[in-house]
Amino acid sequence: MLTKKQNLLETIKGGNPDRFVNQYEFLEIITEAPKRIRPTKGETILNEWGITLSWPEDQIGPFPVHDDEHRALKDITKWKEIVKVPSVEFSDEVWAPAIEHAKAVDRDDQYVAVFFSSGTFEMTHYLMGMEDAMMGLYEEPECMHELIECLTDYEIHYAEQIIERLKPNALFHHDDWGGQISTFLSPDMFKEFYLEPYKRAYKFWRDNGIELIVHHSDSYAATLVPYMIEMGVDIWQGVMTTNNTPELIKTYGGQISFMGELDSGPLDVKDWDAKLIEEHVEKACTSCGKHYFIPCLTQGLNFSSFPGVYDAASKAIDKMSKKMF
Amino acid sequence: MAKIEEVKANVEKGKAKLVPGLVQEALDEGSAAGDILQIMVDAMGVVGERFSSGEIFVPEMLMAAKAMSKGVEVLKPHMAGDSSTNLGTCIIGTVKGDLHDIGKNLVAMMVESAGFTLVDLGVDVSTEKFIDAVKTNENVTLVACSGLLTTTMPAMKDTVAALKSSGLNGFKVIVGGAPVTEQFASEIGADGYAQDAGSAAVKAKQLVNAA
Repeated sequence: MLTKKQNLLETIKGGNPDRFVNQYEFLEIITEAPKRIRPTKGETILNEWGITLSWPEDQIGPFPVHDDEHRALKDITKWKEIVKVPSVEFSDEVWAPAIEHAKAVDRDDQYVAVFFSSGTFEMTHYLMGMEDAMMGLYEEPECMHELIECLTDYEIHYAEQIIERLKPNALFHHDDWGGQISTFLSPDMFKEFYLEPYKRAYKFWRDNGIELIVHHSDSYAATLVPYMIEMGVDIWQGVMTTNNTPELIKTYGGQISFMGELDSGPLDVKDWDAKLIEEHVEKACTSCGKHYFIPCLTQGLNFSSFPGVYDAASKAIDKMSKKMF
Repeated sequence: MAKIEEVKANVEKGKAKLVPGLVQEALDEGSAAGDILQIMVDAMGVVGERFSSGEIFVPEMLMAAKAMSKGVEVLKPHMAGDSSTNLGTCIIGTVKGDLHDIGKNLVAMMVESAGFTLVDLGVDVSTEKFIDAVKTNENVTLVACSGLLTTTMPAMKDTVAALKSSGLNGFKVIVGGAPVTEQFASEIGADGYAQDAGSAAVKAKQLVNAA
């Protein structure tokens, strides 16, 4: 039996996997690594970027607050005066749990993965709100290019620290680039603003020990796949069924792999249904096949919003492995 | 090209800096303010169709809405008492338990551009707040409920049920958002469903005109 890592490599290289890669099993994500301050449930905080984040009691996660009073960056032309890039240096004490976790991983079996969130695209929204960030691309393109470069520099500085401390060999990178049925930006505009900065960031990670880049965008982004390949993404995690994944595999398999097809929307619900999850897993596995595909809930980490859903999907994937391998 | 046609073309292209001047020139040329407003509404209809078909994306839609909004500012002093394009008041909000506002804001812009007077209640809106808004605003013809989280779908169901059983009338309820489907909309008793902001504006007009 192949190790989790070997099975992953056979899958994404079109070799001879002996089972489906089961969701995030190949990644040991070092979540203890220091990252952006987040509120806990019930809190509203001002984070180190000057972004107000609120997590009301009855919600499943925090959100940036973008009303006139709280929006961090109200005028993109003044971004250099307003945006204060936080330090990426943390004490040994802060790093200690992450280092311990990374050391404990069997690197023959799994990748030691670091988690980076939010990517440059989402960060512009966090700072400015969606509307201003989107219109800024038309109205103040030079400023937007500068801000995106600055955010990319920040990512690289953070990468320097985390690479030195943890010696990871995989990156799990969040940046949502679309909604269910379309990308937020046209592919041309995405290319104009985000391709080169992403190439620069991902090259840095790769040049410094990262062997595997997994990019999360739980959205439609089929039209951006050529750019994902160009920027060096190995696996696009979060691919929703709206992308026609079997067709993407036919077109791009061998250059990139696709992880998802189990849309969290209908499956990860309060009254979740194991039978429905099994049906979706069966459809995903039979339609996407054994190569360049990893069945996975589209949510961007190795858990579900409702307890039991992630495990039920894993169980159903094991069942399909027995059937198809 | 007549100035009024230039207004239409430049709203469609999202030329927010050019449109106010063109609207003024159209007025100077003798076009009626109501006609200029109508042509901008038509332009936003085209923008909505292009968005729905994937020909344009969020930034282009936002720029078009901004262009129209800038044009309307020039028109306002000339529009007193003109209600030719007014489809009534639309109350919009993201339902309780959900703080997402991007989709809701896009729908708000498109619905306003289609000729509704807009009352945006924001995000995390309780059932009571929706009902109060229907009571306290004049000529409410539409209530639009948005939700992005599967976890808030029950709140959407409760909101629609409360609106329908409130005894208030004269308005239709439209719902939308990532996890919402036409089937779900129908199951919870909504009058309409739209998949995106462009089709929301079209559906909103249909619902109100059919009432």
